[in-house]
Amino acid sequence: AMASPVSAYNSNTLDSQISNVDKDLIYICPFSGAVKGKVLITNYRLYFKSSDADLPVTLDVPLGAISRVEKMGGASSRGENSYGLDITCKDMRNLRFALKQEGHSRRDIFEVIFRYAFPLSYSQHLFAYLTQEKFPENGWNVYKPVEEFRRQGLPNNKWRIAFINKNYSLCDTYPTVLAVPYKSKDEDLSRVAAFRSRGRIPVLSWIHRENQAVIVRCSQPLVGMSGKRNKDDERYLDLIREANDTTKKLTIYDARPNVNAVANKATGGGYEGDEYQNAELIFLDIQNIHVMRESLKKLKDIVYPNVEESHWLSSLESTHWLEHIKLVLSGAIQVADKVSNGNSVVVHCSDGWDRTAQLTSLAMLMLDSHYRTLRGFEVLIEKEWISFGHKFSSRIGHGDKNHADQDRSPIFVQFIDCVWQMTKQFPTAFEFNEHLLLTILDHLYSCRFGTFLYNCENARDQTKTVSLWSLVNSKADLYLNPFYTPDAGQVLYPVASMRHLELWVSYYIRWNPRIRQQQQSPVEQRYKELLALRDEYLKKLEQLQLSDSSSSFHLVNSSTSNTTSSTASTPSQQYTQLHTPL
Amino acid sequence: MLTGSKNTFKVRQMLPDVKERMLSQSSANAQSRDVFGLRCLPGECVLQRTVMVRKKLTAREGRGWLSGTLFCTHFRVAFMPQDSPKPDDNADPVLLGEHDVALASIEKVVAVGPNRIKLVTPNSSLKFTPEELVLYCRDMRVMCFLFDRLTPDAQVIEITYTIAKTYQPLKPGSVLSFQNAALGSVEMKQFLSNRRRDAHMNWFESASEWEQELERCGATSWRVSSVNDRFEMSTSLSRFIVVPQKVLDTELKKSFAHFNEGRIPRWCWRHPRGSDLLRMASFQNNIYHEKDDIRNLEMVLFGCQSSLCVVVELGEELPSPADIQLAHCRLRALCLGDISTSVSMPDDKWLSTLESTHWLDYIRSCLRKASEVACLLRSGHLTVALQEVEDRDMSCVVSSLVQVMCDPHCRTQQGFQGLVQKEWVMAGHRFYSRINYHRDSDKEESPVFLLFLDCVWQMWFQFPSRFQLTDDFLLALHDSIHLPLFSTFLANCQRERCKRSQNLGQSYTPVNGWRDVLNPDSSSDPSDPPLPPVWDWALQYSQERRERFTQPVPPPAPLQLLLNGNLNTNPDAHRLADTIPGSVFLLSRGTFTCPANLPPWRSSTSGVYKKSHRRAPSSEGVPGLERLLKAWALTEFPQSIPSTFGPQGPLDPYEPLLPLLMGPCMGLWRECYLRGALHAQAFSHPVSTNSLHPVERLAQEVQQLKDKLAQISTSSSSDSPTVTPEPRQTDTNLNRSTNNSTFLYPASRTQAAGASRAAPPPTSTNHQTSRGPSSTSRPGNRDAAGGNKHSFLFRHSSATDARHNPQYYPPPSNAKLPKSNGASVGF
Repeated sequence: AMASPVSAYNSNTLDSQISNVDKDLIYICPFSGAVKGKVLITNYRLYFKSSDADLPVTLDVPLGAISRVEKMGGASSRGENSYGLDITCKDMRNLRFALKQEGHSRRDIFEVIFRYAFPLSYSQHLFAYLTQEKFPENGWNVYKPVEEFRRQGLPNNKWRIAFINKNYSLCDTYPTVLAVPYKSKDEDLSRVAAFRSRGRIPVLSWIHRENQAVIVRCSQPLVGMSGKRNKDDERYLDLIREANDTTKKLTIYDARPNVNAVANKATGGGYEGDEYQNAELIFLDIQNIHVMRESLKKLKDIVYPNVEESHWLSSLESTHWLEHIKLVLSGAIQVADKVSNGNSVVVHCSDGWDRTAQLTSLAMLMLDSHYRTLRGFEVLIEKEWISFGHKFSSRIGHGDKNHADQDRSPIFVQFIDCVWQMTKQFPTAFEFNEHLLLTILDHLYSCRFGTFLYNCENARDQTKTVSLWSLVNSKADLYLNPFYTPDAGQVLYPVASMRHLELWVSYYIRWNPRIRQQQQSPVEQRYKELLALRDEYLKKLEQLQLSDSSSSFHLVNSSTSNTTSSTASTPSQQYTQLHTPL
Repeated sequence: MLTGSKNTFKVRQMLPDVKERMLSQSSANAQSRDVFGLRCLPGECVLQRTVMVRKKLTAREGRGWLSGTLFCTHFRVAFMPQDSPKPDDNADPVLLGEHDVALASIEKVVAVGPNRIKLVTPNSSLKFTPEELVLYCRDMRVMCFLFDRLTPDAQVIEITYTIAKTYQPLKPGSVLSFQNAALGSVEMKQFLSNRRRDAHMNWFESASEWEQELERCGATSWRVSSVNDRFEMSTSLSRFIVVPQKVLDTELKKSFAHFNEGRIPRWCWRHPRGSDLLRMASFQNNIYHEKDDIRNLEMVLFGCQSSLCVVVELGEELPSPADIQLAHCRLRALCLGDISTSVSMPDDKWLSTLESTHWLDYIRSCLRKASEVACLLRSGHLTVALQEVEDRDMSCVVSSLVQVMCDPHCRTQQGFQGLVQKEWVMAGHRFYSRINYHRDSDKEESPVFLLFLDCVWQMWFQFPSRFQLTDDFLLALHDSIHLPLFSTFLANCQRERCKRSQNLGQSYTPVNGWRDVLNPDSSSDPSDPPLPPVWDWALQYSQERRERFTQPVPPPAPLQLLLNGNLNTNPDAHRLADTIPGSVFLLSRGTFTCPANLPPWRSSTSGVYKKSHRRAPSSEGVPGLERLLKAWALTEFPQSIPSTFGPQGPLDPYEPLLPLLMGPCMGLWRECYLRGALHAQAFSHPVSTNSLHPVERLAQEVQQLKDKLAQISTSSSSDSPTVTPEPRQTDTNLNRSTNNSTFLYPASRTQAAGASRAAPPPTSTNHQTSRGPSSTSRPGNRDAAGGNKHSFLFRHSSATDARHNPQYYPPPSNAKLPKSNGASVGF
């Protein structure tokens, strides 16, 4: 009976059971109380199934989502269910199991979980390297930097494609292919790199097709306490400004609060001063990774396991999570607005891989409807996040037991939340649906795919892992928004006001069984049914073409009468299997 | 019939200066109508117009600004977009165009100039030329008009003055003049008196309409009594009330004195599992109870259940009208973001400030109470009597919410309108005082009905696919409250409405109901216009807007369940049957008690009755009941009642829709309260009309696949002689299907018929039963038929309807799509 969890996923080559762990224990469910059952641990997941048929509780937790495992109680612990394991997850939940004190059952299970949840701490491989999963689509082909530049109309007479970083020698956390001002020489780039934190020089992220205004991203200038200047950097920024005729003053958005930028001078960083003559500097007041981590922690406190009942709204306000979302979104709106008005902008924070990635990618999502398609969104993440070195490995802490690592921060979660806010405000503007966003966040932690495993392009090993986009694009129908209405050239400005931002309940509170998924609208339901019907017909056609005439009749006869009742529920079932925890 | 020609002007209520201006400008007006194309109501005339004005578009209207001409008449502020189509002179008058606002809806006029903002009152003088004119409305809309540089200054100042002088801040006297401005012309009166009432809804005005409801609910042991026909028993109750069959009118008459305002327990609704919902006012304690009285009182209170009655006390846990008024005022102040007051709430304090209005708390407590009652009712075989001191406020809210939760009929537009008629209009909710149109009942003012609408919106928001009515409908109803034009809201009870219509003569012809007019043709004051009911939506809204009031939902399941009104499927039923017959419990704060003086006559020393019925006020019964409420708490866990949450809808359509009441699940009705927040207007993504809707694209693809499949299967199966006839059948079905969309919805009639051919008795299928004569005779099915125009999207649809009306209706989300998107598509 316990062999089933593996086949619950559509690929039965996904994971393999670790034979010696198949224990009886008690899951202390915060919603239904203590539940007896069996736990099965594979090299990919922890699977729990209640043995009581009247209380059907199952848990299916990828080990990658575990951030901390602790023993609770000791040999002398008294009281019911006081001896066992406490598991803290990265995805807004905690699990608690109680065991019998006799034997060494707890030690065994603790060690297995520990070893397989934190393989890097044991010099083992992450699961993504072990899986044999095959998909019809190869997601690694989604993003081709040169093709994406070509789509944007680059190179042109103002911007060139530079290959100076092809061995990651200019900047080891940047991609190999960069777009820089046509007039800049490769030597200039090297000299600018010396004045920018970690060599992350200003390069083009996006160009407006009509007005040729650009979004350029980089890290902070190495001004330091003494207020150093660098003529090459100043000249280089001016080249960026000149590349667009309508940009009188280059706008530099520093994502940080003013005080943080000043404080960075102490560690050799800083911000562009008055010496940058044709530039204006604007601070966007977005807090750093530590503030964001604490904010999400507070949010978890008020939603898990119990939702704060009596003063929900003020509790929510006190987490400041939505306020941070608001600041990120309004920063991106300012960037998008400047660019659509024909003004080139430069965006940076400290290192240019957290807040900068949020701002540029959100601004691009507002400006360019291509990124609002399923493929385009994949490209956007590959480009602005993965290729430009958002430190996924450090921010998530894949396979690392050090749960208190100060480098961890939910910056990417915050970005996906911002995207979700936009899809709520513009329900017809995005080709993908909420399910895609949830899938992305699930596999941000799962370690099943290679997509979010690395700190930068340089460190990435595509040949040994599978891309998340392989999964998504092989079943793209599941991730499509039926109400999508393509519309080229529309700039979307979401309203970044607390009045219009919402908590993403179906993500942050999804483990609470009282929160049900928002009911599908009739039309969305209809769409799902049609999808199932189409799959069924395709299958039948295939069968018909293979089989002989007499058998084909029976197929048709049975299919026309009863198809929907049997197939209509298929997509939603898949949905539940993949994403409903209980 | 359109006009504004001089002899139809109604000037008697107008200020002298307005009259002068009107007359002096009338010739210009005649021209302007041609030039600017404003379609006036009969008798309406333009007081002022301003060219080159831009109107700021709201979230629902798309983005940016719309150029056009601004008018002020003595009824409304109208805005005509530049290139709007020429109005059709032969169409029936619509009171308000898409961009108009009635003067009575305007609460504040604010002029925005260079560096200054001024609240403009009838007496104020402007010292600057406004660049912007902002109208704050009572229905929480905010209209913002921007004047062009080229707009003549004189026109700008004039129209600002004119609006400020003519808009009617509600006060005694102004309501009538507004009504006259809108409806007072001879043509308008004539037009209104020729209107027919909507025959598809139950108005609950006549005895036969109440009987229809009894029949619909299968409440066979109840009858309609006309004992209050002349309002002698209770002035605030309706003419007809529903009481147990076994109580005679003569017996009934003695009961009235025992209840506040004579509002005795009356039947509201019967759950298909056999429980009845009653409502009543508080008991009159100081009355001597005769033995016979007591017998009758018990019968009235227990209704048709002999065993168990639960009295649900509404006073304690629900907000008082004063609480609601205060919360609503705070909510308004918070949401409107009035630029004329310098106090503005910082955005980062929005959530806690919203919380401190308590508006959402009050909504939650109403929904919670209604959920409790719904759960009691679904257990079957008991009587639940809602009790409120006056029985005219929160019992309206709770009784109607219970029905919205339990009865799918009440989630259709027609059904909901009937519900409001039954539980609010006829039950004597004091609309007139609560809305305070005349500003003469400030202490009474309380938007109880708006609170109710928000509760319904919360339900809609959580279960959008279970409602046939949409949030557009709720919004339209919300806005209509603020127009003092509708008979529905301009009285406190049916008696007042009757008095008025007796004076005026009946303007709306009842279908087969009461028409008690002594002298039908003598209108006492011909100058008072006849007031239409709010349900005559065509008066207010264009066809296009009205189409958005409903959305396609699967038609309600066949109503067999209701035929005997008794379903013994309930596991709890036998346990409850153990309770001692005649027990009365009080539900208050989530617990059941059995106070000795409930009802008061039981504590009196007068009766023999006491002895026989006060055997141990059954503590055994209490745990049984409390379990029912626990069951409610449990239903918040999806796994315990899977049927309610299945994507295909519940197995039992009467399983209550129980909303989630946790903080994160309660939404703010932004489309209503925040549409005026100028600083933060989200706009919807404009929808291109050229491309096919994705659902239609997919439907076409499926169609092609199916054709191909049919082709292959027919060609291959024709080889085999034994099966030849069958594939041909399939084939013809498919061909038929290509002409309409039905086949795409697989369990549709066409297809099911084809499928059932092989199966023995075709009568066994669902749709055929629902077409049977028994169901068509039931009123509940009327709107199922009305709903059919959309229902082609769904599996129970009928092929005929789909063929005639192949339109695609937008989903209930914000993703409103223009109708034209799908109208041209033949699948």
